[in-house]
Amino acid sequence: MITKRWKIALGSVAAATLLLTACAPTDDSGGGGGDASADSGPVTLTYWDFLDPSQDNPRANALRENIAAFEEANPDISIDLSVVSLGDMISRLPQAAAAGQAPDVFKMFTPQVPQMAAAGAYTPLPEAALEVDDWLRPADTLAGPDGAQVAVPYEYRTCALYYNQKILDEIGATAPTTYDEVVDVATKAAAAEYTGFGTGFSDTDNSAIIATFFDCFMSQVGQDIWNEDGDVDYAGKKADEFGDFLADLRDANALGASVVSDSYSTVTDGLANGTVAMAVLGTERIVTFGTTNPDLKWTDLPAASTGDQNGATFGWTMGIGAGSKKVDAAWKFIEYMTGADAAEGLASGGEVPTRASSYDLPFFSTPDADVVNSIAEYVASNSEPHAYEDNWIAVATGLSQAGQALYLNGLSGSEFITAAQDAANK
Amino acid sequence: MTLSAGEVAALPGVRNQGRGPGRPDRKRRTIAGDPRVWLYTIPVVLVFLFVFIGPLVYTVWTALHETTYYEIGEFSGLNSFVALFSDPSLPAQIGTTLVFSLGALVVALPAGLISAIVLNDLHRFKRTVRSLFLLPWLMSQAIAGTIWLWFLNPNYGPASYITTSLGWGPTDAFSSPTTALIAVTLITAWWSYPQAMLLFLGALQTIPEELRESLRMDGGGIWRGFVSITLPYLRNTIVSVVVVLLMLYVQMVTIILVTTRGGPLGATETLSMRVFNQTFVEFDLSGASATAILLFAVNTVLTLAAIRFRRKEAL
Repeated sequence: MITKRWKIALGSVAAATLLLTACAPTDDSGGGGGDASADSGPVTLTYWDFLDPSQDNPRANALRENIAAFEEANPDISIDLSVVSLGDMISRLPQAAAAGQAPDVFKMFTPQVPQMAAAGAYTPLPEAALEVDDWLRPADTLAGPDGAQVAVPYEYRTCALYYNQKILDEIGATAPTTYDEVVDVATKAAAAEYTGFGTGFSDTDNSAIIATFFDCFMSQVGQDIWNEDGDVDYAGKKADEFGDFLADLRDANALGASVVSDSYSTVTDGLANGTVAMAVLGTERIVTFGTTNPDLKWTDLPAASTGDQNGATFGWTMGIGAGSKKVDAAWKFIEYMTGADAAEGLASGGEVPTRASSYDLPFFSTPDADVVNSIAEYVASNSEPHAYEDNWIAVATGLSQAGQALYLNGLSGSEFITAAQDAANK
Repeated sequence: MTLSAGEVAALPGVRNQGRGPGRPDRKRRTIAGDPRVWLYTIPVVLVFLFVFIGPLVYTVWTALHETTYYEIGEFSGLNSFVALFSDPSLPAQIGTTLVFSLGALVVALPAGLISAIVLNDLHRFKRTVRSLFLLPWLMSQAIAGTIWLWFLNPNYGPASYITTSLGWGPTDAFSSPTTALIAVTLITAWWSYPQAMLLFLGALQTIPEELRESLRMDGGGIWRGFVSITLPYLRNTIVSVVVVLLMLYVQMVTIILVTTRGGPLGATETLSMRVFNQTFVEFDLSGASATAILLFAVNTVLTLAAIRFRRKEAL
């Protein structure tokens, strides 16, 4: 009996000791292993990316090959890649930064860069980064609250109108060129039991589809999303046009029956399998759709009432994590991945390289690069980057919630816009 | 033969009240000065302080301060609590929490009890049936939610295919506030009923078989046996199961997060989802801490209410 009690007591002490040890502060070298004091000598960079290089698709293959090529060209730098979804990255990065555990390098979507910068997730870029001057689009909008640039563009995209040619032929329609025409074509497609226009009001994927579409539309009508004080302030006649468009689609039964819970992937799947007639998505899907469904075509954004078809330039960016002690090595990696050395791999994955020097490569003069070249030209001529405030997540979530109310409670277009703005400023 | 007082006191089993010669009372010696009591108690107290009291104090501390992302700033007093209780969406979220928790309980409790009774009375294929009953509990909440999310998908889900084939049209469980709440409640009940089943199964096996035989000899049927024998014996176990399940449901986040994320229109946003959204979407750590304290209070009230039904005397 005494022996049993001693065993229990020793076990309790051991458990308590293990617990306290596990919770002890860890080395705060700022992510990654290797030499924590300087960039000299072998270093390992921790890198967060949403792409899984173990998967067999063009973008994942390109990422894997580019990382391998970088490590071969820089034998003293190894990359420790962690696959982290965008949603997880947004929630984990501020925590990691606060705990001194941010990765050395991470990707972030353009609209969320200022918010992550405000959350302290970035180390400001080194001087060498600021000397790069051949970005296809201005990169100084990728800044933190103090105006210091914190990220560089990794790939470019903007919005385009996708349509299923087979469905349009079936209903006797042509690719629409205005939003009113989109409603007409979508109505006909809905009558033929297709989803006339694909979008979604779910916020499970950070409201990706509706927020991206809204961003591009506001650029089209020349409406700033924020005022000088940084408050969300877009309600008005220009923004109402966006709400009216969605309301018209709803009234025509041209939205998906499950639009309230539909997300970006729902719509892309619907386009790929031929159940959705049209949608506004990013240009990053052009190459993929070309492979999965040859009936899918793309064209410029429909013209808004202003006659403008220019959307917003956005895409994935790369930056250096807060507290990283390997800034030089991190910038070396970022410069490689955004430069000419990785451009061919990037283009083969359907992503648009961001530096003009990349397009001097022989690859971009071959027929294999025709699609990427056309996308790059479209991005350059049909979009403009703009600055974002540090509350894009609230803007996006507000749009989702207002969209749900528009569909379920029958809000008008202007009520949708007001509700979305109020939710963002809550 | 006459024994002396000392010889009597030395006899085994003879109790000594401590007023005469002989060995001191053994029980009193253990309570008064045995250092091993501290050796057993300190680790448990340390763990309790570290995993419960410490975080609770830190949560209260955070709720009383301004926060910017994950940085704690100046003392702000009860501002977070004022903002919490003046939020017009709070009553709806409390209501959703109660509907969700009690709704899942109403389904999982009898499902667990019936499953346990079936298993207890089964003589063939017992292990196979038990494994099948346990299947939902073996998967994580995230997987359970994802499976049902795709099963009920209106475009590609098997459920939609079945209902469309029957002429009822596609399923659209997550697009309506009412059906979304029902769906997440049922999914949670389905995932958690095996826990109730295991607890009931253990309790059922403590019921003396002689009672059932006696009832059979008296002509009592299945229902009479359930009401007169099984339920009285299971009363305390039912209370325990209710407490365990209620605590699980009030704190449930993952299944709701994976399926609806609190929507549509906030219809499935429980207090736990509010804490999640405030922490990881709005980055309002102070507000989330205030909500977490309210959630703790709700959980405590529900648990104490359930414990009042516990039977004090043994059968």
